[in-house]
Amino acid sequence: MMERLAYLWPEIALFIGTCIVMVMGLSHNPAVRRLCSPICGIFIVAAGVLAAYTTPWGESAVSIAGQTLLPNMPIFAKVLISVVGLVLLLLLAGTVDRQEEGLIARGKRAFDPLRTNRAEFYAFYLFSLTGLMLCASADDLIWLFLALELTSLPTYIMVTLSTSANKSREAGVKYFFLGALGASIFLFGFAFIYGGTGTTNLNAIHASFVQNGINGIALAGLVMALVGLGFKIASVPMHFYTADVYEGAAAPVTAMLAFVPKTAGFISILLLCATIGWQYVPGGETALMPAVGVQGVGGTALPEPIRVLLWVIAAMTMTVGNVLAVMQASIKRMLAYSSIAHSGYMLVGVIVGPGNNTFATSGVSAVMFYLLVYGVMNVAPLAVVASLEKPARSDDEPTEPETLDDLRGLWKRRPALAGMMVIGSLALLGFPPLLGFFGKVPLFTAGISAGEVALVIILGLNSAIGAYYYLRLAAMPFLAETPGAVPSESYDLHPRTSRTFAAALSASAAVVLALAGSQLMDISAKAGYVDSRVNGMDRLQPFKPKLTSVEDGGRPANGAGAVVAPAN
Amino acid sequence: MFGPTLKAMLTPALTLAEGTSAYLPIALILIMAISFAAINLVGTTLLGPNRKGERKGMTYESGMAPIGTARKRFNVRFYLIAMTFLLFDVEIIFLYPWAVTFPNLTPRSSEGVIWLTRIAFFMLTTIVMYLYGRRKGVFKFD
Repeated sequence: MMERLAYLWPEIALFIGTCIVMVMGLSHNPAVRRLCSPICGIFIVAAGVLAAYTTPWGESAVSIAGQTLLPNMPIFAKVLISVVGLVLLLLLAGTVDRQEEGLIARGKRAFDPLRTNRAEFYAFYLFSLTGLMLCASADDLIWLFLALELTSLPTYIMVTLSTSANKSREAGVKYFFLGALGASIFLFGFAFIYGGTGTTNLNAIHASFVQNGINGIALAGLVMALVGLGFKIASVPMHFYTADVYEGAAAPVTAMLAFVPKTAGFISILLLCATIGWQYVPGGETALMPAVGVQGVGGTALPEPIRVLLWVIAAMTMTVGNVLAVMQASIKRMLAYSSIAHSGYMLVGVIVGPGNNTFATSGVSAVMFYLLVYGVMNVAPLAVVASLEKPARSDDEPTEPETLDDLRGLWKRRPALAGMMVIGSLALLGFPPLLGFFGKVPLFTAGISAGEVALVIILGLNSAIGAYYYLRLAAMPFLAETPGAVPSESYDLHPRTSRTFAAALSASAAVVLALAGSQLMDISAKAGYVDSRVNGMDRLQPFKPKLTSVEDGGRPANGAGAVVAPAN
Repeated sequence: MFGPTLKAMLTPALTLAEGTSAYLPIALILIMAISFAAINLVGTTLLGPNRKGERKGMTYESGMAPIGTARKRFNVRFYLIAMTFLLFDVEIIFLYPWAVTFPNLTPRSSEGVIWLTRIAFFMLTTIVMYLYGRRKGVFKFD
């Protein structure tokens, strides 16, 4: 029981940070209030360091009796969360209440704690990161659900607070209600999984599946959980909110939405799929394998009903995301659909599974790596958008550029920002020397080694569709301004430099991390490690789900069924 | 490809149909709950005395005379107070089961320390929330 604490040090650090920021942000002294964002940063760094040094992994994770299905995932995910979280904090700093704080600074208004939301904004961001880290260390369905809610609930409020415009409120309300729907679906699914297996512990559920097969109720639960979690990653049947919410939120919050809930969703989906277990399929028999010169690498696959479900979701998500992104004129809507498409790409890795735990064959590692890649590179375009603002008129807040046409002529006025935009969008496209390319390659190789040729072809076609709109985004700054349109001269650099710094960090990371790609790939390969002995992948036979009824397979046998008996 | 899937998707419904006997107690409880409410409602209207009148229909039959309507706008402060009340209310709800369970822990084991730390942490969060509410000006009446 006490050992579980080993997983929780980073979360505890973040939580302490949250409490401090929440109380400090309401100080009447503006100097104390200004300390909020540095303190946020310090605690995120502290959480990252704690995660790197205290989170158990490998053999120590097994001995501590956390979830042993993806033993190296928590430490990787937590360090990744704190790194990307820090970049996002640079972008998010000072997003809300700028008008109010400006008036107070000029002595035109007295500080009123009830009117300001800045402290809450930082606190909610840290709460969300806490939830995200808790998702990574979850070993129990109830824990996982609470962590997911802790991740999501603050994001609804952050969307609403992000600007004072009505569209943010509309976006927040839409996001909240649809989020509640998604949460209720996967919670219903979790309840069914509990009903079908008799336990909420992930290790014990896996043991029950291995021993008794997946009975109908558990299968229904898994399907509902995966579809409900699709809301968090914006996959197809649950993607409708994405464009509206991303558009309604301020650009920094949009960048956060593309990382935080998506990472939570993918961590949970990977955990759920690991409880089902990927089964070994002999990959050398696939007809295409000799043709591409890959010999006899074994792949893995999920049991048939789950595989087909995720297969359809992945194919639909990629296609719908990319096709609709082509049609968008608004930058944020376009990036919203592109984020849907990227979720589709990552689902390929989930379907493929760990392969033989090498980076080339492991879809789990590919997903881990892609989360890092996407988290880093997606910041750049949105940070550029956030850095460009029309100065505020009278009582309004400054407005961000909205349509693609607003970016015209950026190269002439702000060559550095235009460069970051180009690097960011080319990285998202997956242009060879940049980071996005190295993110996509393992998805292709893992997909082929597992014999998912059709899905890989769909992935390739979709990347080609994606090229159209990413290149348009990259080309916009070089085009001449349209006469008669809103003069884009009025979009100017915002005085707050941390946003531009975030854009520069993200764009340079898209180049520099690509150079350090092989080290990162090694780390991701370790992070996506799935023990084949535990998962029965060494049995060398195609898996057929044994569907049992509740009567004979409902309860795991005492002792033998449970790998870890949950204490208390 | 879709044949087995379809079968798998239908299986939950089929297993549910097979195992309905297990759900009999739930059905019984449902029936009991509904009939308890129905019998009470019908019983009071049939058996109870039915007197009417101006004084009888007042909000407080033998208390103070009500002034105005209840459907008017309240200061938002009341909702903040209500939220703060909820905070302490929930804390008490958690403290009760904790206090009832605490004596049953193994004496002189590490369990006691863990349980105490847990509840101390929980109360600490409540204190932070109280501090936050205080600084936010929830308890300020002017």
